[in-house]
Amino acid sequence: MATQETARSGLRQAFGRSASRGLLGLEQLIGGFGTAIAALALLMIVVATAVASLVGVGLPAVPAVAGAVRALANRERHRLARYGVDLPELDPPPHGIRGALADLSLRRELGWTAVHATMGAVLGLLGALLPLFALRDLTFFLWWWAGPAGSSASSIGVGTVNSTLGALWVSLLGLGWIAVVVGVVPNMARLQSWPARRLLVPDPSVDLSMRVAELTATRAAALDAHAAELRRIERSLHDGSQNRLVAVTVLLGAARRSLVRDPAQTDEILERAQRAAESALAELRAVARSILPPVLADRGLAGALTGLASASAVPCDARIEVAGRCAASVEATAYFVVAEALTNVAKHSGARQAELTAALREGRLYLQVTDDGRGGADATAGSGLDGIRRRVEAYDGSLRLESPAGGPTILAVELPCGS
Amino acid sequence: MRIVIGEDDALLREGLALLLRAESLDVVATAGDAEELLEAVETHRPDVALVDVRMPPTHTDEGIRAAVEARRRYPKLAILVLSAHVEQAFATELLAGGSTGLGYLLKERVGRVEQFLEALHRVAGGGTAIDPDVVTQLLARTRSDPRLERLSPRERDVLALMAEGLGNSAIAERLVVTDGAVHKHIRSIFAKLDLPPDDENDRRVTAVLRYLEDVRRKG
Repeated sequence: MATQETARSGLRQAFGRSASRGLLGLEQLIGGFGTAIAALALLMIVVATAVASLVGVGLPAVPAVAGAVRALANRERHRLARYGVDLPELDPPPHGIRGALADLSLRRELGWTAVHATMGAVLGLLGALLPLFALRDLTFFLWWWAGPAGSSASSIGVGTVNSTLGALWVSLLGLGWIAVVVGVVPNMARLQSWPARRLLVPDPSVDLSMRVAELTATRAAALDAHAAELRRIERSLHDGSQNRLVAVTVLLGAARRSLVRDPAQTDEILERAQRAAESALAELRAVARSILPPVLADRGLAGALTGLASASAVPCDARIEVAGRCAASVEATAYFVVAEALTNVAKHSGARQAELTAALREGRLYLQVTDDGRGGADATAGSGLDGIRRRVEAYDGSLRLESPAGGPTILAVELPCGS
Repeated sequence: MRIVIGEDDALLREGLALLLRAESLDVVATAGDAEELLEAVETHRPDVALVDVRMPPTHTDEGIRAAVEARRRYPKLAILVLSAHVEQAFATELLAGGSTGLGYLLKERVGRVEQFLEALHRVAGGGTAIDPDVVTQLLARTRSDPRLERLSPRERDVLALMAEGLGNSAIAERLVVTDGAVHKHIRSIFAKLDLPPDDENDRRVTAVLRYLEDVRRKG
């Protein structure tokens, strides 16, 4: 019994899966029919423009047509993303006729327009008709008698129906249509999107050069941020701790000299030397902490962020869902982002309540600090947030600031975890 | 001796003033940045200016530039520059117009009070004080020079102390030899390096420094 039950429910599941695959395929085909009709119209315009250009009058229209091709291609890329076909959308083609003609991706898009306008349209039309056929034939036995005598037939026009029995045979054909929808439609949909999958990917050389440009930019930003960070550390060591220690040696030298001359003063000088040494230690601690907050090593990112929230001058609710660990530099960045954000809330926002959320999902760290203050914060050059933004971008992350006048202010940061 | 101090770190500035005053030297003014320093020099006309290299606003070489400017306005002003770290470029910039009454020392040398005071007095008296680390750096890159190769180890020691700006008797004292021995070494060094012998101390320092600088540049 039990095995029969399992088999039956397994069968039901398999049937359900096929049906939903069929329906999804239908949706994709019919959607494709829409873009195919647009492609057909565009194809005529392209041909007309090409012919007109041959006699010289069509050339001014070339950039606009190129833009339309790119727009339609992007529309198709966007549409196919729903069905798990990942095609990055491209920027508009370069201005000018020459630039448009030299755009390798645009040439491939033109090819796609031609194929999709024909094959895509036919497949899409079939996709639109199949459910209609199925509905018509399935219900045929209910209304066949209403048609003019001798003319009623199945949807494909084969045979003439004169009896309910014959009509039932047609309804059987309707079941066949459903089987076709379930069995063949997903493949048709795949066939319809095949030209897009081949031709709407960015030209390989373009893709690579885009990636190189992107990596070069982020790498340069990372090096910049790195150099700025090193400069900051060097300066705080030289002008802070080192000066303190020089003061210590100067005062110790003075103390030794005064031992002979004026022992009473010696203690006072030694006291000063000791204070200078203590402040050198404090400076060193501050520098070390600014490189990598020890609290991260001691309590992890989640603990460190909770600590920041509870130490915040403005009451701050914290929802921290950071189970794993990230690269140390990313954790340090996250820590400084939150520290800076909460400092800003306390200093500038006039908020009564703040909220911190942090989550680690699929290798990305999401941080958000919200407050109910007066808003109007900006992250332009020179502000503390600008430094934070550069640090975040150096790690390939992104920072978003929403702070309309009157509030509320939302600072959202996303960082790749890097581990 | 009347002294003006230019140092942006308050603690260190007070420490320096305390030390110098305890030695009965007359600290007439202290300044926190280059501009204040030039004003203080203008107002007080000191014998010596003690200047930190890094001062606000950019904390790079404001002190050096202020020193060069002060020297341009008051050619008789002696200047002792203090630096957190040895920077050959600073020494070169400072000594571009000669080495008379100029000094360039690491900050922590001040703690060795006796030697520091000696250097301060030397600079105030028109002499030169170059930090041993600067000289070591200069000498470290001169191995390629065949004429320097000819110097004996003892002569190299004498050359280094000469480059620091020490006079004959001070060199003799450091190396625990007689003045006559130092004199002999120096004559031998000048002969081996093809430099014209010169008994005037400041010109001698300039010649030696320039020689080392030339060798370094070629190396």
